[in-house]
Amino acid sequence: MKILMLFLILIPALSGALLPVFRMKRKGNLIYTGAALLVSLVLAFVLLFASEAELVLFSMTDKLRVSLHLDLLSKVFMGLAACGFPLAGFFAFRYMEHEEKEGSFKETTFYSFYLLTLAALFGMDLSGNLIAMYFFFEMLTLLSMPLVLFERTKESIAAALKYLFYSVGGAFLGLAALFVLAVYAPSLDFVPGGYLGGAGAEASEAHRTLLLVMSLLGIIGFSAKAGMYPLHGWLPTAHPEAPAPASAVLSGIIAKAGVLAIIRLLYYVIGPNFLRGTWVQITLLSLSLLTVFMGSMMAYREKNLKKRLAYSSVSQISYALFGLFLLNPAGFSGGILQVLAHAAAKICLFLTAGSFIYHGNKRMVSDLRGIGKIMPLTLIAFTLASLSLVGIPPFSGFVSKWFLAQGALESGISVLSWLGPVILLISALLTAAYLFPITVAGFFPGKDYQEEARNREGGALMLIPLMILAVGTLLLGVFSGFFSGLFEQGFAALF
Amino acid sequence: MSFCLNFPLFLLVGSLLSAVLSCALEKNAARILCMALTITSFAANLVIGIYTYRTGQNYTYLMGHYPHPWGNELRIGLTEALFSAAFSLILFLTLLGARKTLIQRVQQDKGRFYYCMCDLVQAALLALVYTNDLFTGYVFIEICTLSSCGILMIRENGKTILASVRYMIFSLIGSGLFLLGVIFLYGITGHLLMPNLRESIAGLSADGTYALPLLASMCLIVTGLSVKSGLFPFHIWMADTYGAAIPGSSGILSGLVSKGYSFLLIKIIFDVFGTDVFYASGIHNVVFALGGLGVIVGSVSAIRENNVLRMCAYSSAAQIGYIYMGLGLSPVLGMEAALFQILAHAFTKPALFLSAGYLTDSMGGAKKFRNLTGAAHVNPAAGAFFAFGAFSMIGLPLTMGFIVKYLFGAAAFESTHLKLIPTLLVLAVSTVLNTVYFARAILHFYTKNPNPDVYSKVRVREQKTYILSASVFAALNLFFGIFAKPLIDILAGALSVF
Repeated sequence: MKILMLFLILIPALSGALLPVFRMKRKGNLIYTGAALLVSLVLAFVLLFASEAELVLFSMTDKLRVSLHLDLLSKVFMGLAACGFPLAGFFAFRYMEHEEKEGSFKETTFYSFYLLTLAALFGMDLSGNLIAMYFFFEMLTLLSMPLVLFERTKESIAAALKYLFYSVGGAFLGLAALFVLAVYAPSLDFVPGGYLGGAGAEASEAHRTLLLVMSLLGIIGFSAKAGMYPLHGWLPTAHPEAPAPASAVLSGIIAKAGVLAIIRLLYYVIGPNFLRGTWVQITLLSLSLLTVFMGSMMAYREKNLKKRLAYSSVSQISYALFGLFLLNPAGFSGGILQVLAHAAAKICLFLTAGSFIYHGNKRMVSDLRGIGKIMPLTLIAFTLASLSLVGIPPFSGFVSKWFLAQGALESGISVLSWLGPVILLISALLTAAYLFPITVAGFFPGKDYQEEARNREGGALMLIPLMILAVGTLLLGVFSGFFSGLFEQGFAALF
Repeated sequence: MSFCLNFPLFLLVGSLLSAVLSCALEKNAARILCMALTITSFAANLVIGIYTYRTGQNYTYLMGHYPHPWGNELRIGLTEALFSAAFSLILFLTLLGARKTLIQRVQQDKGRFYYCMCDLVQAALLALVYTNDLFTGYVFIEICTLSSCGILMIRENGKTILASVRYMIFSLIGSGLFLLGVIFLYGITGHLLMPNLRESIAGLSADGTYALPLLASMCLIVTGLSVKSGLFPFHIWMADTYGAAIPGSSGILSGLVSKGYSFLLIKIIFDVFGTDVFYASGIHNVVFALGGLGVIVGSVSAIRENNVLRMCAYSSAAQIGYIYMGLGLSPVLGMEAALFQILAHAFTKPALFLSAGYLTDSMGGAKKFRNLTGAAHVNPAAGAFFAFGAFSMIGLPLTMGFIVKYLFGAAAFESTHLKLIPTLLVLAVSTVLNTVYFARAILHFYTKNPNPDVYSKVRVREQKTYILSASVFAALNLFFGIFAKPLIDILAGALSVF
């Protein structure tokens, strides 16, 4: 079973690296990529039912070990990546057909880096200690950057560089925290509940201020990938430039790698007990709430659909971070559920935005009037995903936000315990205000609307992933009792 | 086995002799002689290394069997063997990789002189590492300076001559300062051999006599050697020099020559001044500050540069800054980091310069980034090796660059809190800046496929030796990046018996 973890990383990595070597025709490339994605999916599915396992790959020095470890958290994020990547990938098979332009990368290059990114993601999910995770985090940045600059126009290169700088700069803050922890923590391996603040952690008491500051910096550093204020700037620049399937996984899955890194650092190395009630927790909570509000506000004012969705991601991922920073079980479950709910909804939304671009190059919100007459099924998927994102029962977005509000009220932190739910509500209203008008104007364009050709749906390759995702948001919500029960039990050791 | 104790002498004499011999040989024969010399030196130093590892102590070699104060001594331990083996191997690989450019760029009748100079550099590097005598150190510093000027100006066009004259002026100022320092030390102690010097200096500093001359000589020696290796603000010669020279020469200069001086400085700090005296003098604080500034200033200058070779030169200035930062940080972990950085940079920079050189060659000699767009499509091997070198410079895990960052992080916590924050800040800023300029370079190389009618793809066949040398560089870098522990242990152990 152990060696399967290695295979899960190696299969997409090798197949991605070898794809350009084979020089196949387009059809061959698609079958190859699809097969690699499906094999990874099956392998990940098998691992979901495996028991906890650990595999040490090699040691650089005594403390710098690189090991893989499988636990419930790895399974959640691994399952997310394994499901999300094939869906967006199959969508890409149709979408990327027209993207290859003069000067852009070859389509093959896109699939190659797509698979390599998946490998890096699996690596992050399965990392057993901070060193391994840092390594895969950097790899993830480098390998996903070519997805953003696919078109190789000046703007896309600038956007990719911005993404790179935010991520690498953030990762360095994480590395600085790693240096400190390497000195003061007994080990860098992930242990539920962390090392500091527990019993027998006198060293952490002696250097309390230093450790608090470095914890804060490390968490803020990793939050660059998750798009939390003040390091959120790359998201709205990179997403509109990337091809739609790339933005979908970037926002739905790759940004979640930042959340995973924060969970690992906060709950598995530092320990929630060390930070609970400190100024660091207050700072982090305030930053995440600020991001929730600001992201929604910016999304509301934005006229470009993909940019609007990018700002929406900034806001929605910080919901999850808010839950995690509450440092109590309800908040944690809410955070994880929100990660899953947002991933399903946002991948769906970005893919529908891609469909609109694919048929008629409709990029601005104002172009989408009457789109429901042309692409009704696509717009239905869009609507279902929006409902989940806003948080209407019984969609998954509702359940996660319920837990988040509950966690905030239970936390007992003076102002934030009631201010948090209030801001979550305001942001939900804003979300409704920036998503629903698109649906309304799409289905009911008004009397002066000049009818275009009807029913030009994107074909099975584009529609089926959309439908699966839209139904997925619903199913996640309906069966959320199962998930929340699983999380509450599985993550009890963290607190 | 104890016969191998004589190897250092043989190597020194052999290098000097083959330098003389090369002048009389054809270019090809001179090349073969030089390559054979470097690889022999690598092998011999490995044997010495194994011997000293087994015995676990340094040994002193009396040249001509005269005892001090008349004699001339070498002192070799595991560190010395390790570093001279590494330097020889790097010189071998750089010459191997630069072979094609050397054939193209250097006039046929000058080629043998190039290899003659390389022999001299080899001799000087070995002597700088082995020496147990300050004056021998000085002599070989001068040999090193002159031969590296020769390596630089082998192309004999206006730019390279100007650049090497500038380099020579800086270098001679450096060696002049060093000589002054040695004279002062001789004046107050009456010794030139390192163990005797150390003894007298410990005595002097305990008494408090000659405090000012001692401090002055320390300052002079440290300044002299740091001017020569290009510490900020004495790095200004680098960009012109490396930008104009052929890539192989830049690789040798930045990868080896400046490292030889840094190593000598570390040796002097341990064996002549003693760490207690040196770290009580406060000079290390200045060195630390200049090193940190060098890292930042070098990186910023690299960002502003639009010529790929000059960019690599500024990056060297930044990397040299790291060495001095480690040296100023703390006597144990800081030194360890500095020594590791010497090796890490020496394993990376020559390959980076060579790759940059091959990339510019494949685009018809263009050096500006805007004329180099798509170069990696024309020469995929050079593009890939450049990218790998850049990753190590940025400090991605699995490369030696990451271990360097980790060691600096660890050393920062050993030192005072006053230095902790600046060190971490410098590491952070330099990581981001490194990413900025290397990512920009790599993006330029990989964007846009160039017109296939103008630039024909470079085949593997045409650059076999380069690919071989660059892959060995990359493999070594990965190996020591992944299995860093043995190397760190050797360095740590060596520092304790230095």
